[in-house]
Amino acid sequence: MRIMREALAGTLESSDLMVRIAPRAEGLEIVLQSEVIHQFGIQIEKVVRETLARLDVVDALVVIEDKGALDCVIKARVQTAVLRATVAPGDALSPRRIADAPVDWSALS
Amino acid sequence: MKLRRSMLFLPGSNAAMLSTAFVFRPDSIMFDLEDAVSLREKDAARILVFHALQMPVYRDIETVVRINPLSSPFGLTDLEAVVRAGVDVVRLPKTDSADDVRALEREVERIERDCGRAVGSTRLMAAIESASGVVNAVAIATASPRLIGIALAGFDYVMDMQTERGDGTELFYARCAVLHAARYARIDAFDVVYADVNNDAGFLQEVELIKRLGFNGKSLINPRQIDLLHNAFAPSQEEVDYSHRVVAAAEQGERQGLGVVSLSGKMIDAPVIEHARVVLRRAEASGVRK
Amino acid sequence: MTIDRQQARRAGIGVGPLGLTDPSSAEHGNDFLSFAAYDRVLPKAGTMTEEIVSYAIDPATQPDEQADVRDLLAQCGLDYEIGVEAFVVFRRQRRLIACAGLEKNILKCTAIDPALRGESLGLKLLTEIVHLAHERGHSHLFLYTKPDNVDFFRSCGFYLLAEVPGSVALMENTPIGIRRYCDRLQTQRRAGKVIGSVVMNANPFTRGHRYLVECAAAACDWLHVFVVAEDASLFSYRDRFALVESGIRDIPRVTLHHGSEYTVSRATFSAYFFKDKGIVGDCCTAIDLLIFRNYIAPALGITHRFVGTEPFCPTTHKYNADMQHWLREDVTSAPPIAVVEIRRCVHDAVPISASEVRRLLQAGDLARIRGLVPPATFALLEAKYHIDRSSAA
Repeated sequence: MRIMREALAGTLESSDLMVRIAPRAEGLEIVLQSEVIHQFGIQIEKVVRETLARLDVVDALVVIEDKGALDCVIKARVQTAVLRATVAPGDALSPRRIADAPVDWSALS
Repeated sequence: MKLRRSMLFLPGSNAAMLSTAFVFRPDSIMFDLEDAVSLREKDAARILVFHALQMPVYRDIETVVRINPLSSPFGLTDLEAVVRAGVDVVRLPKTDSADDVRALEREVERIERDCGRAVGSTRLMAAIESASGVVNAVAIATASPRLIGIALAGFDYVMDMQTERGDGTELFYARCAVLHAARYARIDAFDVVYADVNNDAGFLQEVELIKRLGFNGKSLINPRQIDLLHNAFAPSQEEVDYSHRVVAAAEQGERQGLGVVSLSGKMIDAPVIEHARVVLRRAEASGVRK
Repeated sequence: MTIDRQQARRAGIGVGPLGLTDPSSAEHGNDFLSFAAYDRVLPKAGTMTEEIVSYAIDPATQPDEQADVRDLLAQCGLDYEIGVEAFVVFRRQRRLIACAGLEKNILKCTAIDPALRGESLGLKLLTEIVHLAHERGHSHLFLYTKPDNVDFFRSCGFYLLAEVPGSVALMENTPIGIRRYCDRLQTQRRAGKVIGSVVMNANPFTRGHRYLVECAAAACDWLHVFVVAEDASLFSYRDRFALVESGIRDIPRVTLHHGSEYTVSRATFSAYFFKDKGIVGDCCTAIDLLIFRNYIAPALGITHRFVGTEPFCPTTHKYNADMQHWLREDVTSAPPIAVVEIRRCVHDAVPISASEVRRLLQAGDLARIRGLVPPATFALLEAKYHIDRSSAA
């Protein structure tokens, strides 16, 4: 999937994370901030990379502010950000627009 | 027979609650994609719940998801997500007629076939939130073999009735109607949420009432209410002792191939035996009432 | 229970802020601690009595909301700021309990009812305002706060840019903002002992600016010129940059840089853009100058900053004076930068300044402007800004 616009997903609250994704010319760049980066930084980044790979996202800048989220929450927030970022920039990012976007659930599992 | 006294309600967009709510051990957990989720977060909550449903920690708790109405732009995508994620029960909000249930059933079956899930394994429950729903309660309750229960939702209902929540008088007819429909259809009946989370006495009073009426349980919005509710539904030691005797007599009767079961010289009917089994299930789950 | 233990710890089930006990004991689920912890979380998301309703308001069209925001800010000892275009507000049982405002990409007027201060409400408020900003097209955000609050905003994904101890701190909502900018600057680095810099708004570019760049370039091995990028001046950034570009093209050993959020921007130096209203904050210059000294100068190896003497504009005058303090004195670990004031070039016995040009333009006195600006600027004034005015009038 191509990242068409900058998008945001998640919250700053405990057990959650905020994901910001933006277009990037070539390759993936992941910037991770976490309260538990020393213990879990590598694992979190692995989850992020796998999630992006499943969605076929190859060029993107991803900035993550992690608040101690479980792996499945990390997955969910990254996926949400990607789906929001693949809406064409001209389109309003309305809930309706997002609701109408087809979702390939098998790529999200 | 699945015990459904407490159905804990969690906003589908809240990662912290979704990650930790299993520790409270309600009988069922309900992830909400509807009213507790803002328009902006509909997509995010759906994806979050899609993953929460697949968490190993929810494997041994019944999971329910309240989807958005199918008439909204979100309902069908919600359904796609949760059926694929293996939800136990889909809760349909604002059910006004049997057709609403049948429409849901058709979509569920299509998705089950699409994703290779056993057809019929997704159960349904219908929330009744309007005068129309209450009047059609029997038709709704018998609309699909997938239904495990129907629930009354008070907030929209009282508005539809042009009144507001009070001491319960305003819900009296609706409670009775929903309950009778459920009993007629041999499915469960769930009562409204009690919103004032700091008022334990008020909560217990309402629980006493709906238990007496015959509801299976109640939707809850605070985990603190789970224990209060389970304790209120727990039988007394006397009831437990009596139920043991009833069940023992019934088993004996069965072994001996007798058509009639009797205890202390009195004949016991099937509903009495069934009730005794419910009592014992409740005691097994939460002990005797404290 | 098959939750991964490491995951559990990460989610705070074992040791985290929820304060829940170990999952194996929490499995019984009913200890008081768990409930207390959950109670703190739950009211945020949907009980009828405790429910917090959050929504965005436009203070210009919703006077009742604005009045409540003013009250809350006053209660928290904060001023209401006129420039705020949108607020996120939280209400509980109709009472306003928290607010956060946006002026373009700057977070302002952030307050939480003193009785309800707790990190969880703050995190929720910041989440909402960041999402609102994003919807309004601002993903790169800044905020000013007291140094005491830096840790809190750090937990909200904001990173410190500069701090005047005991007074004010500027933060941005990305860990890679200033770093990425400096990485780009670094590719323009030039060798030399004396590396100069000039920051100009050039509103519009005058012969005075040209003279300043000439003098500075002559004194340096290389000179870096920055044009203020903020589009809050009479002349658009596009026009200002184009005029500077054509005006200094022939001067050797000069690199012209586009401005950024980090040099004399609405974020780093909002007072500059209010100068016509006579508002000059004491600390605003410090933040801008500290960012220059701590990040921009090291990236390019800048040793000197050149500036024209300022006879007219009090804000610019103060900025020049503050420069001596914040760029040269021992106020930060970054190396000091020499500040060189160059006397204004004079035309008909009056120092040339852009503010004078704007004054003459206002008065319709094109003839006198001709002597103050290069031909390219004059042509633009005549074609675009002057004619626009007369046709509009």
